[in-house]
Parts: sequence; structure tokens; C-alpha cells
Amino acid sequence: MNSMDASPRHGGLSGRWRSSTKRLILVYGVFFVAWTVVLIGAISWQTASYLDGVVDSILEQRLRYLSSVERTRLPALLAATNQLDLRGLMASGLFDAQGRYLSGDIDHLPDGLAIDGRVHPLAEGVQRISGERAARMHAVALRLDDGSVMLLARDYRVVDQVGTIIRSALAWALSLTLVPGLLGGYLLSRGPLRRVRTIETAIEPVMRGDLGARLPVSERRDELDMLAAIVNRMLDQIERLLGEVKGVSDSIAHDLRTPLTRLRTQLHRVQQLGDAGDPRGELVERCIVEADALLDRFRALLRISELEDIGRRAGFGSVDLGETLRRVHELYAPLAEEREIAFALDAHAVPALRADGHLLFEALANLVENAIKFTPGGGHVLLRTTSEEGRVVIDVLDDGRGIPVEDRDAVLRRFYRSAGAAGTAGHGLGLPLVAAIARLHGYEFSIGDNPPHGTRMRLAC
Amino acid sequence: MARILTIEDDVVTAREIAAELQAAGNQVECVGDGSVGLARALAGGYDVITLDRMLPGMDGLEVVSELRRAGIDTPVLMISALSDVDARVRGLRAGGDDYLTKPFAPEELAARVEVLLRRGAGARDTTLRVGDLELDLIARSARRSGAALDLLPLEFRLLEYLMRHAGQVLTRTMIFEAVWGYHFDPGTNVIDVHIGRLRRKVDAAGLEALIHTVRGCGYAMRAP
Repeated sequence: MNSMDASPRHGGLSGRWRSSTKRLILVYGVFFVAWTVVLIGAISWQTASYLDGVVDSILEQRLRYLSSVERTRLPALLAATNQLDLRGLMASGLFDAQGRYLSGDIDHLPDGLAIDGRVHPLAEGVQRISGERAARMHAVALRLDDGSVMLLARDYRVVDQVGTIIRSALAWALSLTLVPGLLGGYLLSRGPLRRVRTIETAIEPVMRGDLGARLPVSERRDELDMLAAIVNRMLDQIERLLGEVKGVSDSIAHDLRTPLTRLRTQLHRVQQLGDAGDPRGELVERCIVEADALLDRFRALLRISELEDIGRRAGFGSVDLGETLRRVHELYAPLAEEREIAFALDAHAVPALRADGHLLFEALANLVENAIKFTPGGGHVLLRTTSEEGRVVIDVLDDGRGIPVEDRDAVLRRFYRSAGAAGTAGHGLGLPLVAAIARLHGYEFSIGDNPPHGTRMRLAC
Repeated sequence: MARILTIEDDVVTAREIAAELQAAGNQVECVGDGSVGLARALAGGYDVITLDRMLPGMDGLEVVSELRRAGIDTPVLMISALSDVDARVRGLRAGGDDYLTKPFAPEELAARVEVLLRRGAGARDTTLRVGDLELDLIARSARRSGAALDLLPLEFRLLEYLMRHAGQVLTRTMIFEAVWGYHFDPGTNVIDVHIGRLRRKVDAAGLEALIHTVRGCGYAMRAP
């Protein structure tokens, strides 16, 4: 079953599937064995009782025939029939009225055998003169007209042997059927299991949020394919609905931008018309700041959509990461200094990256800005690159209050701002934007701890 | 008075552009069709052309590349709803001199047109002067009232940009694009902080201010 061992990530699903197959095969095996045993029992019992009847009727026939011949010819006739019986199954004896031995290959009447002309089983068998003793015999004794007693016995071994042959034949049949049956069952069950595994792999991107992925549908058009097709139709629908929701929010953002820009323009005109000392000027200034914040928000929202939709790689080229980091540091160092935050850069011997230089800069700028925003005065922010398992890793570390584990996925969603972010400026779209840029590049963006307290934003390239 | 040709099919936007540029003392002609616009531009006599990317008749990109092929180097400001960097690069590669994304603040447009109008003036000078501020581009040194200023490389670039466009309003976006070379919104007040630091060095206490804040818009460097 080694080939079926999935990675620990799949543990739950695979485990259940495996045990279910095992159980099915086991139950099938037990039922099969039980039924075959019953079958064997029935067949051997039937055969035995039929052969019983045959043996008994042979004895009775022979007894009838022998009892009808002349008494004087009897010993010779008995000897002759015994000689004809090549397998030595028959035995016979003649005794006088007192039970004394007269002739034949049995020299005594067995104890407990009624002399009544009916066939009785002799569990102990009968000792022949030759000393041979069969384990089980059927015997019949009859008092002849002159008072003497004729004993006929037939070895029962044959019937037992037939029973044994039947049983062993059926046992062979059982094992010959059971082994390939179970093996075949196991092998057959692997096919669907392997396909379930394929489906599981195929659906992983969907679980990660890539709704464009679909389940594979094979040529066979069987139940699994039906199921896959149903799931695919469902995914189509979900994707369409989500696309609509996104489309609506995007078009709202898009449509509101123009009137908002006009509003801002009017405010700007009002501001220009006012006198220098007019106290209303400050009010207008505040309105402009608000309008700008709104415009920023829409711009960022549309920018994320743009990044998600286009998936462009036209701007990809070799990017000097060290230089990019240095420029990010250069851009934000004065801001950090103004907020009394120590902002350090640790980037040496950084290899060139294949990336869109503008977008990479934008992502890093967002991360640094975010770190500076959420780090109190006197704190530290470090922009650092390291190499981990052959990947270039860019970390932005701060010793601010950190992001609670339960919020870490949420801050990557549009507009989410953690409870601690209240009162800080920003549109809450910085990290989703970074996530979108990381996705576009195939980078891994993660949020972790920077012990003892603080956040570690990581881009693994 | 500068003559400006505005090729824009959206009437409202065209009116806004015209109003803003006329307010700045320019003479504006508006055309709503690409091929008509190209014909006018080829006839010449304009100091700046604002050109919409998407036009009936002829695409904005075609207009500008035709114009350049005809050897006309009138500065062109491309205006487009496409904010993507790719679109910007295509626009500039076709021969545009600057690129503005819709929707835009009119003062941003005015500031950019102003920069284009004065383009080329003093481009070959090795020393820039604004008032008693002097920037030596070869020695990469700056002096104010004869005293040397201690500038970081970035501050030098920022000051050079401001001085090259002395007397013009420069928006934060323009400054970020020109000095840093990136086309996104750097957010918060990063640019303000940089200007603030430069200002502390250039406009030291007791000296007359050269760097001015233009409210709700950006900055301008002006001789006293």
C-alpha cells in the first residue's frame, strides 16, 4: 500500500479512503469464506447420504440374493464374491446357530449387531481374519432358514474418501477464487482511489482560491466523471457569481472615480478662490484630503483587480534585487527617521531575480510602509534578504504590536483592517496588493511572528 | 501664449481640459476625432498636444507614431483610462512624452502640460540657478548664498528636478515618477517627508524660502 501513502497534508482524506477499501475487501472475504463453507457442508452431506443409501442397498441386494441360494453353495459363493471384490471392500462370514464361525473372512459376529436383516452402521468396524480392520463399516446379519447366520459387511471408507475428495476440491476452489478475488478487488479499488487522488490534487488550487481550476473528466464517463462534471459545473457557477460580485465592486469603484475627481477639482477651485486668511480654507483642505483618501482607495482597489485580471508577464525581466531594496530603503528612511523608528537594510550578495521591477518595488514599498505605520516610535524595522532552501527570501521585520494569528488571512483580503489598525491612516489595501503582486510572480507571501513581539512579512521568491 | 491642441472624444473631459489650460493662460483647440486631430497636428504650430489613447477614427497610439514619423516633435501628453504599466510603456514608446491616467485632477494635467511647454529650455546647462541657489551638475555640488550644501545623492536628484522646473507646479506624482522612476501611488506622505528634509537644508533658517508648497497640489521652486 506504499504507493497509496499520501503526504501528511492529505492525511485525513486518504486515511478514510484507505480504511473503507480495506473494510470492503475484508467483509467481502469473510462472507465469501462463510458461504463456501456452508456450500461445502451441504454438498458433502448430500453426497454422503446418497452414497450411504447406495452402500446400504448394495448390501441389502446382495443379502437378498445370497439368502435365496442353496445353503450348501453359500460358502463357495461368498468366497467367490469376495474374490471378485478387488478393492476388498466387502467382507462376509457364516456362523452356526450358536454364533460359531463356519466360513468367510470374518470369524466372529460383531457385538451389538442385531440379526434382523437390516443394515446397521458399525462405528468400530469388524476385524477380519487377515487382521485387517476397517475403521467404519456397514453390516447386515440374517438368520438363514437352517438357523445359521450370514454376515455381510462393507467398508465405509469409500464414502468417507469421496467426502474428503469433494471437500478438498471445494477448498481448492475456494482458495483459488478467494485469492484472485481479493487481490483483484484490491487492485480494482486502487483505480478509483488513484483517480480520487488526482481529483484531490486538481481541486487544491480551488481550495487555495484559484477558482479557474477544474477537475479532470476522463473518457470513461463513469460515476466519478459524473461527479467531477457536477463539481465543475458548480465551480463554473461559483466563479461566475464571484466574478459578478467583483465586477460590480470594480465598476462601482470605476464609476465613482470620475465624479469624485470632479468633486475634488471643484474643491480645489474653491480653495484657490478663497483668501489666504479665510478660515474656511482649512475646511476645504480637509475635504480635499478626504476626497484624496477615497480616490486612493478606489485606485488601489482597481489596481488589485488589474493585477488579478491581466496576470501580465510583459514587464518581467532580470531585476537587481539589492538595488531595488536599496531604493526602497532610500525612499522610506526619512519617513522612518521622522517617526523615530530605526529602519535598517540588510541585503548583501543578493542574486538577480526574474520579476517585474516596478511591481516588486511597489510590493516592497507597501510592506515597508505598512511596517513603519504599525511600529511605535523608538521601534525597529528591518528590511532583509536571506536565502532559504535555495530561494531568495525577503523579510520585512518590525517590533510593533504584531498581527494576531487569526487575523493573518483576513488582512490579505480587501478592505480588512485589524482591530488594532483603527486610528491609523490607510486604505487597508496595501497587503492585498502585495498578495496580488506575489501571486502574479508565483512568490509566496506569508505573515509570521518576529519574536518577542512584532510582525514578519515574508516574500519567498 | 502657448497654443495647445487637445484631441479628446469625450466632450466633458475635453471641456475640463480646455478650461484648466485656458485658466493657465493658454490657447486651446479641441478636436474629437483621431484622423482630424492628426491632420491638425501635422499642420503644425502647436506647442503641446494632449492626446486621448482611445479615439474614433484613429487610435491615439497611431496618431502619435504617425506624427513622429512625419518628423514633428511637438510634445505629446497621452491621456488614457488604461493605468497599466504596459499601456504606459506602449504610449511612451509610440512617441508620447508623458502619460496621464484618467480620471485625473485638472491641476495635475496643467502641471504636466506646463513641464512639457518648457521642455528643452536650459537642458544643456551644466549649472542650474534659482535665486542664490546654485547647482553644479558636473561637480554634483550645491551652494546657497555661497555656502556649500551637504546633500545625499537622492536629495541632489530631487533638487535638480525642482530647479530644472523652477517656477512650475510639480505634483507629488510627477516628483515620484521623475525622481524615483516608478509609476504608482507611494502613499501617505513619503514625498512630503523627502521635500521637508531637502527644504531644511536648502531653506535654512534666516534664508528666504525657495521651495513652496502649492496647497492641494504639490510643490514649486521659485526665486524670491
